[in-house]
Amino acid sequence: MSEPQSQPAELANLAAAIERAGRDLALAEEPSRFIAALDAGAEEQE
Amino acid sequence: MTDWTIDSLAGAIRGGKISPVEATEECLARIRRLDPRLRAFITLDAAGALGTAKALEVEATAGRWRGPLHGVPLAFKDLCHVRGLPTSCGTRTPEYFAAEHECTAVGRLTDAGAITLGKLNMTELAMGPFGDNAHHGHVQNPWRPGHVSGGSSSGSGAAVAAGLCLGALGSDTGGSIRLPAACCGIVGMKATYGRVSRAGAMALSWSNDHVGPMASTVRDAALLLQIIAGRDPRDATSSGRAVPDYLAGIDRGVSGLRVTVPENFFFQGVDAEMAAGVREALRTLEGLGARLRESRVPDPQVMNDVCGVISRCEGAAVHTRLYRERPEELHPVVRARLDLGFRIPAHDYLQALRLRARLTRAFIAEVFAGSDVLIAPVIPEPAPPLAHATEGPIAELVQRQSHFSRLTRSFNGLGLPALSVPCGVSRSGLPLALQIVGRPFGEATVLRVGHAYEQSAGWHRRRPPLD
Repeated sequence: MSEPQSQPAELANLAAAIERAGRDLALAEEPSRFIAALDAGAEEQE
Repeated sequence: MTDWTIDSLAGAIRGGKISPVEATEECLARIRRLDPRLRAFITLDAAGALGTAKALEVEATAGRWRGPLHGVPLAFKDLCHVRGLPTSCGTRTPEYFAAEHECTAVGRLTDAGAITLGKLNMTELAMGPFGDNAHHGHVQNPWRPGHVSGGSSSGSGAAVAAGLCLGALGSDTGGSIRLPAACCGIVGMKATYGRVSRAGAMALSWSNDHVGPMASTVRDAALLLQIIAGRDPRDATSSGRAVPDYLAGIDRGVSGLRVTVPENFFFQGVDAEMAAGVREALRTLEGLGARLRESRVPDPQVMNDVCGVISRCEGAAVHTRLYRERPEELHPVVRARLDLGFRIPAHDYLQALRLRARLTRAFIAEVFAGSDVLIAPVIPEPAPPLAHATEGPIAELVQRQSHFSRLTRSFNGLGLPALSVPCGVSRSGLPLALQIVGRPFGEATVLRVGHAYEQSAGWHRRRPPLD
């Protein structure tokens, strides 16, 4: 199977983006807080 | 069929002006005439559809009505498990996917009286925004043959636009409902993450997947969403939050509603005609009483990267077996996307999931503290020629895919409701479109804005030149 030439670059770019954005992530941050964010930000029903 | 909407056809059936069998026969005749060139369907179930239509006709004659879609012909993306029909997910294998139970969204629509015409074409494994498919034929844009339909719910977009069915289901992991809706000049909605059950639909990325309606008007999309939304015990991520009446307030207009127009990212590098179409639509909304506010929004590219990591890792996990055992069956671009998913470290995947939570809180707080909806383009340019999706080195094709879906992907990560609505036609005869994004579970407001614009602008009355 041939590997597209861009893959190492794309992989490195994604890793760098996650590294950059995650540098100051709080220790308490966890994936389930995504659902909590949706619930907390929900539009009031009329 | 091109003159009917779901709403008007359902009313006409109730009023005895047209029967479920007549409606179904009309759709089937149109499919037979147009689909050999559009390639919207993978499986056509003419016998099953007519059988259901006859049963519904008998019930109607006896005064028994199953629900608001009694006798309305629909079709479903070929990743929804529909009892008795194969589910290829756009792969070469007709029965690639099977679920223990029928797709919940499909079941809710048919329980409401819808007739299943068949299963609709899609990008292989839902991986790609253009709608090309080497196994089942590239779906053609009904407005201009030789141009992409958008994907991955390509057949859904083309079939509704061409009047082959009255509405359809699509799925959206990075824009796959909104992109074909935008390319084909119809309405497509990705509701809030968890608003619509994904049970019985193939997963591409369980963190980003959404199932949703595609139809020719906002009202029809609202009608379909009303039926499919709500808690489903078969999908643990589905929300138990009460489903409001989406049609009750849809005619209330936009007077006083606050609209954020993003200064950064969403209009950058966008085709001039597309940007002008969206800005003209914003002026129309302003004329209807909406209050526009231009402001910067948190950089969507960060969420695009986060979504990229999550989708690739989860997609690789879901389709490991096909990738390992029959890689030669996969399109090279799809194989490349899966391949990348296997190489991303677990640490990056988990960081991406943690980041998603923080980015979502920040986006909601910054954008929706002073705003009811955000409006932006859906696609960076009108539907490009098919060669743009199929010809060139793999690395370049992957890049083009990423570019074409860059305006939609972040809203999958954010889980926010987003509606694609037509807002014009380019000089080359291809649809322009805008997306209306709301706060979590703010579908009613999003639909209300979309409906007000649509009724004022009237683009939904235009049809592709097929007849």
